[in-house]
Amino acid sequence: MAKSLLIISRQAPWSGPSAREALDIALAGGAFDLPLGMLFLDDGVFQLAAAQQPDAVQQKNLAANLQALPMFGVEELFACGHSLARRGLDNDALSLPVEVLDDAALTALIARFDQVVTL
Amino acid sequence: MTTLHVIAHSPFGDERLASCLRLLGPQDALLLCGDAIYALKAGTEPFAALQAANLGERLFALAEDLQARALDSQLAKAVDYPAFVELTLHHDKVNSWL
Amino acid sequence: MKFAIAVFSPAHAPSSRRALRFAEAVLAGGHEIARLFFYQDGVHSASANIVAPQDELDVAAQWRAFVSDHRLDAVVCIAAALRRGVLDDTEANRYQRPAVNLPMPWELSGLGQLHEAAQLADRLVCFGGD
Repeated sequence: MAKSLLIISRQAPWSGPSAREALDIALAGGAFDLPLGMLFLDDGVFQLAAAQQPDAVQQKNLAANLQALPMFGVEELFACGHSLARRGLDNDALSLPVEVLDDAALTALIARFDQVVTL
Repeated sequence: MTTLHVIAHSPFGDERLASCLRLLGPQDALLLCGDAIYALKAGTEPFAALQAANLGERLFALAEDLQARALDSQLAKAVDYPAFVELTLHHDKVNSWL
Repeated sequence: MKFAIAVFSPAHAPSSRRALRFAEAVLAGGHEIARLFFYQDGVHSASANIVAPQDELDVAAQWRAFVSDHRLDAVVCIAAALRRGVLDDTEANRYQRPAVNLPMPWELSGLGQLHEAAQLADRLVCFGGD
């Protein structure tokens, strides 16, 4: 049975290639049908803010790529409630259908995956 | 499954240690290396946070980094590289907070 | 036990040296390294063009020697490498770039290799972020 992998994305969308490169790991794994999950934590939750305009900073639309995750079979998408609240995003509509988890649920989430990569 | 968390960033002005301590499972362990060692400086906020987390035998520090920074490991057990390898095997997986 | 070791930082970063020392300890402990995978700025750890200051450790050279001496499977992520200007012969020709800085024993390949290594290995250990 394939080992499951949780990808934790902690960086804001345009603080360098990190957000994009975390997503690439997820998409590559999805293409191989591997059991994956993706968690947005700390500044990573900024990737989920709605109505961002990346072309203002001459960047690609990360949101469009994030939306491809379910198409690649990566449907287990999570966001840290504490991180969202701390960044004023907890009452906003998010650009991706994520399950918002509190700390205890996040501990359990990390525990159930076979491997983790945090970017 | 248990996780060995590894942090290498200074806790001052960085969120990794705080987030890790919030998510740490009851049987998880934490290895501090690189500048994360500064969290072991007594009398600091990160040190207080580590004390409060009460990790007991589950807190480790890479010996070379303690030595380089002339820090004592009162709270953490100092490990060398062979022990680091063993730690990764003792837990089910490793989560490095890159 | 089998290890997959992923490096995300360049040769001058403390985490790259730490990854190398860890990798050495893995082999010294009688374990196997299924694959080394270099991603993000880790591609620079594989660069042949690093000129380390004379009074500093040459981590890039040490990685090269480690991989060769132990005949390890050392993969550099092609997408990460191209973006950062780390090119082998083929890619330098393909994109008409003036320099080749990825020598043997490194191999350019995709993220699938990271996933494969993670599936094969008992432990996936990542180093980087600095």
